[in-house]
Amino acid sequence: MSARIGIVGIGHCRFGNSSEYDLVDVIAYSANDAFRDAGGLHLRKEVDQVLVGNMAAGMFNHQTSVASALISRMDMEPCPAELVENGPASGASAIRLGYMAIASGMADVVLVAAGEVMRVVSGWEATNIVATMAHTEAEYNMGLTLPGFAGMFTRLYMEKYGMTERDLALVAVKDHDNGAKNIYSHVQLPVTIEAIADGENANVVNNYVAEPLRMYSTCPISDGSAAVILVNMDSPKAKLFPKKPIRIAGIASATDTHCVHNRKDPLVLDAVRISAEKAYKMAGVGPKDISLAELHDAFVIFELLNSEEVGFFERGKSFLGVRNRETEIGGRIPINTSGGLKAKGHPVGATGVSQVVELVRQLRGEAEEGRQVKDPKYGMAVNFGGFGNNVVTTILAKD
Amino acid sequence: MIDFSVYGEQTPHISGYKCLKCGTIFYPAPMVCKGCDAHRDPVTGKHWEQFDLEGPCKLLTWTRVWNLPEGFNRKFLMFGMVEFPNGLRASGRIECVGDPVIGATMEASVIEADERPGAPVKVFQFS
Repeated sequence: MSARIGIVGIGHCRFGNSSEYDLVDVIAYSANDAFRDAGGLHLRKEVDQVLVGNMAAGMFNHQTSVASALISRMDMEPCPAELVENGPASGASAIRLGYMAIASGMADVVLVAAGEVMRVVSGWEATNIVATMAHTEAEYNMGLTLPGFAGMFTRLYMEKYGMTERDLALVAVKDHDNGAKNIYSHVQLPVTIEAIADGENANVVNNYVAEPLRMYSTCPISDGSAAVILVNMDSPKAKLFPKKPIRIAGIASATDTHCVHNRKDPLVLDAVRISAEKAYKMAGVGPKDISLAELHDAFVIFELLNSEEVGFFERGKSFLGVRNRETEIGGRIPINTSGGLKAKGHPVGATGVSQVVELVRQLRGEAEEGRQVKDPKYGMAVNFGGFGNNVVTTILAKD
Repeated sequence: MIDFSVYGEQTPHISGYKCLKCGTIFYPAPMVCKGCDAHRDPVTGKHWEQFDLEGPCKLLTWTRVWNLPEGFNRKFLMFGMVEFPNGLRASGRIECVGDPVIGATMEASVIEADERPGAPVKVFQFS
């Protein structure tokens, strides 16, 4: 791939409860933020393609054609616009398709805006809507939900590798510590290991959701949006954007079986490993070159598993790295410096773009005090669709 | 004369699928055989055999879910993943007292469940 494609504008709203706002306004907020970051709202007229990441507006908000609505809300007609739906990986898939649009020569500037407003329904209904990504006959109909799968997955990992519930809590403590410093986080409160694991009231504070996963092992249900502006760095239009681009060095995706039980080893996430291998190859780097990573942690077990599949740790050893504080800011490989889905929140369609916004902030050196990784060169994001059956890995580079 | 066979048809079943060309078995139903690329026509079922998935199975992992989705008026439900002697695996509900043990032999049966809106659905129950 010879195209040099970079990110010249980023936008993000604070994740949390935006249920009183219209979904399209929520997405447009981050899109406007991205144009202001890129140099001004007038630059929206330079966009050749708009891609909107969203998972389930039809079910959550009873709304369709979100991309068309966004175009009119932002006065961007007649710019082409499409919706990208790939479950919780919708955001990163939209970025990947934006990259492909530029690489193909059909566009020089692409706006990728993604968002979800989930809290308009009850938590029980949101869980049910998200569960529709599972196999209808063999999983969803059984009553299974994503927390249910993650609970089974976590038990298997604990049985096989000796991880404890306290190890899960240590990941949550680290993520909440990072999230507390992130202005965009849904949950901006640090937690202590005493409160959620060691103290006598820990079982009450941190109750079971899907055993052995507890509340602090799962992400909140969040609303929110994020946006990035992609530019062909070698086109004349690139000169219109004053900020130095953060280059997309590698971006790749892979799939796995729809039914979790049909994988040879349910603990092996082939789609994560393959998409990461492809992204490393495209970028010409390896795991040791990565300065920080945003790994999809809708459940903290995913952060651990993803960190093994992308090569940061040997299989079954990632929780030992957390014990040794290797994944904290200042550690060997900082993971989820934003707070991750666990603390920053998980508006499903927005998450993939939000992860990339965090990498850009870090690579520019614009993260908040106490959260900035020292002199990062490469950042990686893994956005997990379904229960690991459709995964996008992105590697950004500061040239 | 009363035809008792009709009552048998009302018992809920969940099927596994066998490609008669190469013998590969599946659950749930595929549209293409990964063993020999044979097409499965879901209307005629020609060159494929259906068989009931039930009976003894080994528990691979399990969970007890406390935040059930809309429609489930229960405090919690247990779910598990099992492997049948023929190598096929399935996910479903667990009905047992106390905590099940990974590796234990369980018995798979099929029930109809109607917690969610719409027609009742077939559900594996491991006990």
